Amino acid sequence: MKNVRIYFKKLGRMKFVSHLDMTRVMSRLIKKSGIPVWYTEGFNRHIYMNFALPLSLGFESVCEIMDIRLNDESFSNEETLEALKSVCPPDIEFFAVCDPVKPTKEIGFSEYKLEFDEIDSKMSTALNEFFARESVICEKVGKKGKVKEVDIIPKIHTHSIDGNVITLTLVAGSEDNLNPTLVMDTFFDNTGIIPTFYTVLRTAILDKSGNEFE
Amino acid sequence: MEVKNFERLLLSVQKPGRYSGGEINSVIKDKEKVDVRFAFCFPDTYEIGMSHLGIKILYSQFNSRDDIWCERVFAPWTDFETVMRENNMPLFALESRDPIKDFDFIGFTLQYEMAYTNVLNMLDLAGLPIRSQDRGDNTPIVVAGGPCACNPEPLADFIDIFFLGEGEEVDLEVIDLYKECKKNGKTKKEFLRAAADIEGVYVPSLYNIRYNQDGTISEITPKDGVKTTVKKRIIKDMDSVYYPDKFVVPFIEIVHDRVVQEIFRGCIRGCRFCQAGFIYRPVREKSLETVNRQAKCLCESTGYDEISLSSLSTSDYTEIEPLLNKLLSWTDPQNISLALPSLRIDNFSDELLEKIKHVRKSGLTFAPEAGTQRLRDVINKNVTEEEIIETCKTAFSGGYTSVKLYFMLGLPTETDEDLKGIADLGQKIVDTYYSMPNKPKGKSVSVSISVSTFVPKPFTPFQFEPQITETEIRRRQEYLKSQIKTRKISLSYHDSSTSFLEGVLARGDRRLGKVLETALKSGCRFDSWSECFDLQKWLDAFNANGIDPNFYANRLREYDEINPWEHLDYGVTKSFLVRENQTAHGEKTTPNCREKCSGCGAACYGEGVCFEKR
Repeated sequence: MKNVRIYFKKLGRMKFVSHLDMTRVMSRLIKKSGIPVWYTEGFNRHIYMNFALPLSLGFESVCEIMDIRLNDESFSNEETLEALKSVCPPDIEFFAVCDPVKPTKEIGFSEYKLEFDEIDSKMSTALNEFFARESVICEKVGKKGKVKEVDIIPKIHTHSIDGNVITLTLVAGSEDNLNPTLVMDTFFDNTGIIPTFYTVLRTAILDKSGNEFE
Repeated sequence: MEVKNFERLLLSVQKPGRYSGGEINSVIKDKEKVDVRFAFCFPDTYEIGMSHLGIKILYSQFNSRDDIWCERVFAPWTDFETVMRENNMPLFALESRDPIKDFDFIGFTLQYEMAYTNVLNMLDLAGLPIRSQDRGDNTPIVVAGGPCACNPEPLADFIDIFFLGEGEEVDLEVIDLYKECKKNGKTKKEFLRAAADIEGVYVPSLYNIRYNQDGTISEITPKDGVKTTVKKRIIKDMDSVYYPDKFVVPFIEIVHDRVVQEIFRGCIRGCRFCQAGFIYRPVREKSLETVNRQAKCLCESTGYDEISLSSLSTSDYTEIEPLLNKLLSWTDPQNISLALPSLRIDNFSDELLEKIKHVRKSGLTFAPEAGTQRLRDVINKNVTEEEIIETCKTAFSGGYTSVKLYFMLGLPTETDEDLKGIADLGQKIVDTYYSMPNKPKGKSVSVSISVSTFVPKPFTPFQFEPQITETEIRRRQEYLKSQIKTRKISLSYHDSSTSFLEGVLARGDRRLGKVLETALKSGCRFDSWSECFDLQKWLDAFNANGIDPNFYANRLREYDEINPWEHLDYGVTKSFLVRENQTAHGEKTTPNCREKCSGCGAACYGEGVCFEKR
C-alpha cells in the first residue's frame, strides 16, 4: 500500500460543485479510471480520500490537492495520472501525481486572487487603509452556528492590489483558516464601500514556512 | 447571456449545481451540424428529474443519432425562477445554455399530475404562449409522454402531441416526419395532421369533445379523418431495444444516485389500484445476459458503486436468483452494492435475503397496502398476514430490526375495521419480534407505517370509484392514529388536500385547462412540494372558472359513462376493467398473469407474458 498525492484544477462549471459533492464526484472518477485504489475497511466501505484544503462553493482553483492510497505499490504515478486524465470532465484537470512529502497538517497558508469588475481609486485607498490597520475584529459563524469574534488582520499574511485584482495570502489549514469572503465582507462592512461582485481563484497552497506545499 | 453574468446570477441561488450543466457524460454537439434540437424537459427539480430512468434512456437514444441534439431542462426552483424573471433570462437547456424557445421540439415527461403547473410554467419561462393555438409556425413543437399521457385531457389545450406508451420507437418516427415536413416547407398544422396517423400519436386538437347537460361527456369525435382511437405503443423485444451505455453522472447529489438497470416492463400482479400494473402491460422481460451486460457497462462508464434493479416487482423476474448470482460474481469484488427495490412479500425467500445481506444493509420495506384480508382481496393484493409475519421473522433472524410498511387509506369498501387492521398488523409484527428467541440482541424493533391516500386512476378497475372526501380522509387518518398504542410503531400519512387535487386532475377533462391556467397565474407551481402547495389558490381557480372539483374526484361513475380517456387504447379493455371492478366488490381475487390469463386485452400486442407457457 502507498499514499499518492493528486494535484488538479477545478475550474468553470465545477465551481458550482460543493466540497461534499466533490468527494462523490472524485470517488466516481477514481472508480471509473480503474486505478488500484484502496478502500476503507469499515462498515461502509468507501474509497479513502483526503482533501488537503476544501474549496468553498463558487471558487475556482489551479492547485487542489487530494491524497488517496493505492493497493498496488508498483503502479506508477505516471500511470495514475494517465488513468485519471482519461476520465476527467472538461472543468477538472488532473496535472500531477506525486509521492507526498509533508502531511496535510503542515499546510499553513493559501493564496487567492480576487478579481473585480473595477477597483476604483476610492476602493483602492480604502483597501490599503484597511490592510494597514492593527486589528479588525469580526464575527465568524462556526460550523455549529456558534458565533465567535476573530481578529482577521494577523491572519492576512500578504496582500497586494494590481489593477482589478486583489491577491491575498491567508492563514489556511485544519486548525485555523481564513476565508477570503470573510475578509471582503468585513472590509465592506467597515468601510462603507458598496459591495460588488468578484470571482475567487485559489492560486497556491503553502506550508507553514510559506513555501509551496508538497 | 455572457458567462460571467450567468455565473454571478447562479451564485446568488441555492444549489447552483442544478443549473450549471457540464456533468460527466453529458452530450455536447455542434448546433450547426444537427437538424433537430430537442429540449427534454422534466417538470420538477434537477434532483428528481435526473433520477428518472425514462429521461436517461431517451436522452442517450436521441443523442446516438448524429442529426439530433437532445438536451436536458428541469424546472428551476422558485429562487432561481425569480432571478430569471428579474433578469429576463429565458428558460435554457443545460448543455448549450441556449433558450429552448428556439428549439425544434420541447418534450415533457408527465410522471405525476401534480407537476402540471410546472409544465405550463416552464413554457411561460421559455417565453412561449402556453396555449398551443397561440403558438405560431415558428415555435417549437411541444410534445409530452409518460404515464399521465393515458389521460392527458387537462393538458390538451397546451400540448401539440402526446405520445402514448413507450417512447423509444414512436418518438423517433415523429422526429423523422418532422424533418421531412421541414424540408418540404410544410406548416405546423400539416405536420400535426400527418403525425396523427402514426400509431401511438395523439394530437388533442384534432378531437372534438361534446358534453351532456349533467357535465359528463356525450361524444368524442375525430376531425380531419384522423383515427377514432389512439393505441399506445410498446416495445416488443426488450433485448434489442435501445438501452444507454452511459448515464449522465450528476455533480450534486440526486434522489436515486446510482446505476438503474431495467429488468422488465409491466407487472403480472394486477393490483386493482395500481395504474402502472395496467398501462404497462404486457409483461416483457430482458434476458439475464442482457441485464448483466448492460449493468456492467453502465458501472464502467459512470464509476457508480451501486446498482438498483428496476421493475414494478423485482422478485417476479423469472430468473431472479441466477441473475443475482451472476451480478454478485463481479459486483462484490469491485465493491459495488446491489439494491433490490419492489420486492414482494410472498416470494421473498431465505436465499434472496441471504443474497441482499451480502451487500449493504438498508431497511426492509413491504407494501401490504391494506390492513385486513378482506380488503386485500378487494384490491387484489394477494398477500396474506401469515406471509407478512413469516417474512418479518426471516428478516428479523437475518439481523434486521426495522421494517417499513406501506398502506393506502380510502380504498373502495374500506371501513374502520380495515383501518384498525393496519394498527393490529403493526402490533403483530412488534410482538413477533419480541417472541423470537434469535432476535438481534439488545436492539429494539421499529415498525414505520406509511399511509398514502388512495387516488382512483384511469385504466384501473377502480377508475369508476368515487374518491373519499377530504374531510373523510382526515377523519380516517385521525381514527388510525388513535388505534396505534405503542411507540415502536411510527405513523406517517399524506396530506389530504394534495391527494384530492391529484384525484381531480387524474380523471379530469379538457375543461380543467382553464383552471390550470388560472392556478398558474395565481402562483401555483411545485404542487407536489408541501412548501409550495396552496389548496386555497386551487379552490379559487376552480371557483373562478365555475368548475366543481368534486364532480371529477368524488362522483361514482357508471360503467357506461364516456370517460375523458375513452378514445385512448392501452390494450386493457374496458369490459375487463368492469369485470375486475365487479370481482372487487365481490371480494374475490384474480390470479396473476403467470397463473392464469384473465383476458385483459393486452395480448393484442402479440408479445410477452401472454404467450409464455403456463
